[in-house]
Amino acid sequence: MTTFLTFTILGLVLGAVYAIAASGLVLTYNTSGIFNFAHGAQAMLGAFLYWQLAYGWGWPVWLALVVVLGVVGPAMGGLLHALIMKGLRDTADVTKIVVTVAVLLGMVYLSQWIWHPEEARIVEMFFGSNAKVEFSGVVIRVHEIICLVVAAAIAIGLRLLFTRSRVGVVMRGAVDDPDLLRLNGHNPERVAALSWMMGSTLAVLAGILITPIGGGALQANALTLLVIDAFAAAMFGRLRSIPRTFAGAIVLGMTATYVMAYFPSAWTWTSNFRISLPMIILFVVLIVLPQERLRGAAIRTRERYRVPTVRRAAVWGVALVAVVYLLKLLMVETSVSTFALGMTFAIIALSLTVLTGYAGELNLAPLSFGAVATIVVFHFGVVGTGLAARLDVWGVLLAVLVTAVVGGLVALPALRLRGLYLALATLAFGVFLSNMVLRDTTEHTVFGVTFSLFPNGSLIIPPLRIGPLDLRDGDTFLMTATVLFALIGVGLIALRNSGYGRRLAAMKDSPAASAMLGQNLVKLKLSVFMISAAIAGLGSVLMSSAIGSVASENFNVMAGLALLMLTVAAGIGYVSGALFGGLMSGVGFVIIVATFNDLAAANPDLAPVYQAIGSLSVVSTALLGIGVGKSPSGTVHDVVESYRSLRDARPVLVGGAVLEAALYGLTLAGIMDNWWFAILTACLVMMLPVFGRMVMARVAPDEGRPAPHRTPPELVGVDEPYTEELRRELDRELGLSGHDRGPTPGGRRPVRSGAEEGNVHVVA
Amino acid sequence: MTGQAAGGHEMDATSGLSPGTADAGGPEPLLELVAARAAYGPIEVLHGVDLKVEAGSVLALLGPNGGGKSTTMKVCAGLLPLTGGDLRFAGRRVNGISAQDAARLGVCSIPEGRGIFANLSVRENLWVATGTGARMEEMEEAAYSRFPILGKRRNQLAGSMSGGEQQMLALSRALGSNPAVLLLDELSMGLAPMIVTQMYDTVAQLVAEGLSILVAEQFARAVLPIADTAALMLHGRVVSVGRPDEIEEQLSSSYLGG
Repeated sequence: MTTFLTFTILGLVLGAVYAIAASGLVLTYNTSGIFNFAHGAQAMLGAFLYWQLAYGWGWPVWLALVVVLGVVGPAMGGLLHALIMKGLRDTADVTKIVVTVAVLLGMVYLSQWIWHPEEARIVEMFFGSNAKVEFSGVVIRVHEIICLVVAAAIAIGLRLLFTRSRVGVVMRGAVDDPDLLRLNGHNPERVAALSWMMGSTLAVLAGILITPIGGGALQANALTLLVIDAFAAAMFGRLRSIPRTFAGAIVLGMTATYVMAYFPSAWTWTSNFRISLPMIILFVVLIVLPQERLRGAAIRTRERYRVPTVRRAAVWGVALVAVVYLLKLLMVETSVSTFALGMTFAIIALSLTVLTGYAGELNLAPLSFGAVATIVVFHFGVVGTGLAARLDVWGVLLAVLVTAVVGGLVALPALRLRGLYLALATLAFGVFLSNMVLRDTTEHTVFGVTFSLFPNGSLIIPPLRIGPLDLRDGDTFLMTATVLFALIGVGLIALRNSGYGRRLAAMKDSPAASAMLGQNLVKLKLSVFMISAAIAGLGSVLMSSAIGSVASENFNVMAGLALLMLTVAAGIGYVSGALFGGLMSGVGFVIIVATFNDLAAANPDLAPVYQAIGSLSVVSTALLGIGVGKSPSGTVHDVVESYRSLRDARPVLVGGAVLEAALYGLTLAGIMDNWWFAILTACLVMMLPVFGRMVMARVAPDEGRPAPHRTPPELVGVDEPYTEELRRELDRELGLSGHDRGPTPGGRRPVRSGAEEGNVHVVA
Repeated sequence: MTGQAAGGHEMDATSGLSPGTADAGGPEPLLELVAARAAYGPIEVLHGVDLKVEAGSVLALLGPNGGGKSTTMKVCAGLLPLTGGDLRFAGRRVNGISAQDAARLGVCSIPEGRGIFANLSVRENLWVATGTGARMEEMEEAAYSRFPILGKRRNQLAGSMSGGEQQMLALSRALGSNPAVLLLDELSMGLAPMIVTQMYDTVAQLVAEGLSILVAEQFARAVLPIADTAALMLHGRVVSVGRPDEIEEQLSSSYLGG
């Protein structure tokens, strides 16, 4: 009985801290519509700062608390809102998610830069762990009492705020209709800022309280993920109701402690199970809770993607292979294998292009699907032993197939989920997989077969061999990966241009309209999830064999989030976005950090400066993701748009190409350094549109292109006569191809589908 | 937005709009658009609109769908910035004013659809409506005495009420906050004819109390009896302004595309 009571109290305490964290999350979600993935990172940063003040610098605890909770917490929330979150109105779910994920990663990198991860830091319980009270045999620590009291106070305080104060009521109105708040004389931005300040403070408070409960050791990643467990609690209240969030948090805390208390410790997976319990609960709650109805109106967002034609895509695919071949000639062997690794990441990123870019569904754990493929290929695809070991093509195909099926199985219960909820379900799957499967190093016996999923905590994946094609050679590996990327990329663009692709786009734009047109959304979602998982599986098998020996860290959720973030930053609607996103997350930052470390080693005087720049560039990864808020269509889109104006400036393009060829020649001949080549190429690519516009302006000022028509189209014929030329122009704008045949009233004309928005202008 | 507004208008936010207090000569119109242009992104929808709402008068804005009525209302409420021309409150230029400042100056706008918060209770909706400076007791008194049904439903979620009750709640904001100008956009939308009549009875009562109103309405018959002036909007322009009965005649031909 005493044991039961003790564990009940422990569960209540854990639940109380979850509740504090989750209520902050619900608060910001309700006023700004943004689900803050960085909530855990804010808690982590707050806890680290508290440690720095109270332990690092030895301030009195009360003063440290006042500063961290009274100043740092609100300031962090206020800054986040003013600098980043304010700009996220009218963006797609994926943009909001990626930006907050970027903030999360940035904060984790920042903390690792400031507080070196290998130093041990302990946050002790308030009044020490020996300060305790005893009630009939049950011992409660003072710290635990503080947690309970604080949680209760926050519950009551929030309840009063939301029902008894006008500012609280206005906060609740903010998410419904910010414009209506304006019409009522309120400033929705001020309301949102206030809620971000409060949410951030609650996160920090949760971080400080939970660290000693979890053992006291401060670790950036672990603490961030610990608070992410609170997502499950928030989901109990469907991100709306604070009371139900509190109830959910208590359930969560108690279940976790009871599992710890009563599951036989002989079961090797008990501790893994306990760790992944919140994510299992999150997944179940997501699936069981009633969902919102399909919204009737189209979802209007600021993201815009153009769809290239298959022929153009094929040309670019060939160009990519050629460019990679030429670059390969410049590189030393180690660079080639690094580049090859990056290319495998780019293939994984393609799985996001089709799923998120085309179909608008979200997957926060692309690498987890890859882990499944890797496990399958390790068990069934390796032929030979030692150095002669190779992956067998049938094994790879089997792995891809199994991953597709697993993708379908994960998606199946989650099919009724959309947007954020689906994203959270995949996140839950990813964390569950890393905790349960990838840590499962023990042997199991099923049907007389003894095996272990992840023996020794790492898997050795040999390179692939298909007939005469042996990927042990770095050059062959790189070219094979590139060709595969190009093939899948062109295939995806063909898919996007097909009827299936248009159905995906329609589902993305308006699920309700798509359903009313008789589309089977379930079939569409399931199939696109399977396609995406298959691509991720293929990419991951290649990635694993490029690395050689993979451990669970290679597939953890943070790495997957970074891949998603960089792909979105580059442009998730584009195959080229996947290329850049994959290369950046796979190897880009490794190269940058390694370069600065080399520089630091070479110049000991300047070592601190170089190391600082290296760390800074890692933190600035997050800035890339945060930039998504400013240009939600991605960098590739912006670059393509800037080059669009160059289409008529042939001389500039040719000049640029010649210059680039000359640079390449100089580098190949060894006259110029690779670094100079990279820097000059980057400059050339960036300067060309600017230069082109200057040349165009000088050579043909306002010629060649008709002046934009001043009269708005709907007034043509009212305000000015409807001439033959105007009619042709309108036909061209509308994509009606019959404009040279004269008017055919009532006749059917081939009209391009609206789904191909981007193509309308290229119709001849 | 607010920064621009501060540069653009010289009105101090506390003075409010009041008829007849204009500094220059005769009485200025309370609300005026001069050659106003507005755009959604790159697409211009108002191509130079001129409108005047005189103190104590009712101007009805009529015309078919897509004529720019709702956009004009948004511009007047401060929800959409002008891309050209001027917006004036009581003779003073307030281009770029934010909607919350406009509301505090006494422009009460009831937007198209139901201007209510569906997830707040009736009473909480009224509470939010006190953001323009009204007192909660007055707000509740005004709402419940005019629409007793709202008093009965004060703790019910606004979104769970009927369309007519929701519109009553929206209109209550105008009753309780004592505005200088009322902007009504498609009050009749989606309502039973009987409810529409009841709504416009309430509006007529406000008119009798001397409130200035700009009302956009497709359902012209409901609004013409209370209007002093009517304006016909077509293709983002005001094509004619005149007595309500005159405009009504033109209206039918505009629907027929004549």
